[in-house]
Amino acid sequence: MKLLLLEDDKEMRDHVARLLRAAGHVVDDCVTGRDAIFLATSNDYSVLILDRLVPDLDGLGALKAIRAAGVQTPALFLTALQSIGDRVEGLDAGADDYLVKPFAGAEMLARVAALGRRSPTADTITRLAVADLEIDILKRTVSRAGQPVHLQQQEYKLLEYLMRHAGEIVTRTMLLENIWSFHFDPGTNLIESHVSRLRAKIDRGHDQELIQTVRGAGYRISNAG
Amino acid sequence: MPGDWRSSAAYRIAGVNALAFAIGTALLGVIVYGAMHVAFTRQLDSMIEDEARALVGEYHSDEPDDLARAIAQREASRERERLLYAVFTPDGRRVLGSLQAKRPPLGFHDLTFVDRSEGRDRGRGLAIDLSPHQRLLVAADRERIERIDRTILTVFGFGFLGVCALGLIGAIILGAYLRARLRALSDGAMAIVAGDIRARMPVGARRDEFDQLAIALNSMLKRIEGLVDNLRDVTAGVAHELRTPLSRLRNRLESGGDEIGPENASALRVINDAIQGVDEVLSLFAAILRIAEIESGETSRRFGPIDMSQLAIDLAESYAPAVRDGGRNIIWSIDPNITVNGDRELVAQAGANLLENAQIHTPPATLIRLTLVAAGSFACLGVSDNGPGVAKADRARIFERFRRLDISRDKPGYGLGLNLVNAVARLHGGQLVFDDCAPGLSATLELPLISSPKGVDDDR
Repeated sequence: MKLLLLEDDKEMRDHVARLLRAAGHVVDDCVTGRDAIFLATSNDYSVLILDRLVPDLDGLGALKAIRAAGVQTPALFLTALQSIGDRVEGLDAGADDYLVKPFAGAEMLARVAALGRRSPTADTITRLAVADLEIDILKRTVSRAGQPVHLQQQEYKLLEYLMRHAGEIVTRTMLLENIWSFHFDPGTNLIESHVSRLRAKIDRGHDQELIQTVRGAGYRISNAG
Repeated sequence: MPGDWRSSAAYRIAGVNALAFAIGTALLGVIVYGAMHVAFTRQLDSMIEDEARALVGEYHSDEPDDLARAIAQREASRERERLLYAVFTPDGRRVLGSLQAKRPPLGFHDLTFVDRSEGRDRGRGLAIDLSPHQRLLVAADRERIERIDRTILTVFGFGFLGVCALGLIGAIILGAYLRARLRALSDGAMAIVAGDIRARMPVGARRDEFDQLAIALNSMLKRIEGLVDNLRDVTAGVAHELRTPLSRLRNRLESGGDEIGPENASALRVINDAIQGVDEVLSLFAAILRIAEIESGETSRRFGPIDMSQLAIDLAESYAPAVRDGGRNIIWSIDPNITVNGDRELVAQAGANLLENAQIHTPPATLIRLTLVAAGSFACLGVSDNGPGVAKADRARIFERFRRLDISRDKPGYGLGLNLVNAVARLHGGQLVFDDCAPGLSATLELPLISSPKGVDDDR
């Protein structure tokens, strides 16, 4: 993917750019909000990665200007500002995701990938399928190899989220934020217990394990397992 | 108990004031009574003396019977203020006049006589020797003075009672006024104690002593608030500023780990442990900053209605698998249609912290119970367990920041979990209450309801 990175701190910029390039992305970087506006409006990027506190025009102002210019490219804020107020402000300005510094490389890469593949028609899909696993989003029904699978509400939400990101790594934090609306670390590993129950219902008795654990990163549902 | 009037300084001051007035009135009454009594006695004396002189004049006139006639004439008069007369021989016999009394010594004195109609009566008389053989006694009934004395006593008696009654009413009004003014100040102080550091004492328009005191207290509070804000800013500032170097450190460790690669497993393990250590420090800072954010009251701007019943169900269903995997059990009972006004994320985090605590500080096989009920005007989100509980003496301390009881030193955490729950409760105008479940601990987050539950179980 072709990405725009706005970050004024050289060490952080180099670190992020290196991680992204190592993952196979093309990265344009800049250090001021004005440059970011110019680049974002004159190039076609898959994801904008913006630091909030940069000199000249800050990331928030830059994103507002970019959105005002009609550019709907998904945007991820990378910022040291971690209060609830800052996050709400960032999302209100048009950001699609918000990641507090410092972060694990895998976390950042997973989020960039999720944003980059976000399909504009995602909300109109009514059925999702991975291999012989199918879910009907309208009826909230699940079947594996034609056999209905009964899931608890939270297991269903977890499965739907994984299926919407089929083939991508989904991190613990992404699940906590998007399924449970927990923007904090609850301490207990809630996700692991839910995933193991979901796995028991989906994969047990089948040769192919669809839900995979990606060490040090998160989970992925795909028919590669 | 502030409602007890005996312990009230306001009523004591007002009471002492009223008592002083009553004593003053009584003293005034005694003085007036004494002065009037003396004045009227003197007036009576001078009347008696004038009469005695007149009779002495008659006695020394040329006609020897003039005295007897004069006395008879005076005694026959129907005047109300008539005097009484007698002339005694040295052996005590009354030779003239009708005054039935003993022969008196010379000069003024009080005496008793026998009144024809009233019997023995008290009087005041003057005795003068007309000659060595005749002693004239002119006397007056004291009834006049006694009547005046009674009038004065009656007037002052009622006056005194009136002053006492007015004093009592005044004391009650004054006391109530003082108490009301002081209560305004103590209510202001209690609001601050309850957590609203921005509350201020009410200041009236009159700028009286109470208002001056309120102004002085308000300036003191402003100063305290400044210090508290300063402390919070410093704490948050330190935590925030330390994030940047820690971020760099974490990035370098991660880059280092990538370069080492999986072939050097032991070096990679050291790097990963170091990253984990950095993450722990960062999560501690995150907790400190989050509490500072809550305590600043900033988040209250984003308050909205929260469906507590749904939130509680979500919490229970989110935690149930992990709790059971941890070897404990969890059950829940959640009343429907309970709504509060607040920040959903913070309330969820508070509830999550209570559930975390119930797991960290209890042994396996503990039963954890999550409840949501509406009690009075509060939504009560309770997390209780049947674990070892917390000693009563320690229960007040578990709110404190970085407070970790000795028995939990070996448990994970920094002692910020309940501090955050408490901060969330106070931000929402509620409170965190601990109780003994015998055995076990119950922690209840009480938040003000915005609407009473409809009390119907239809939705279930």
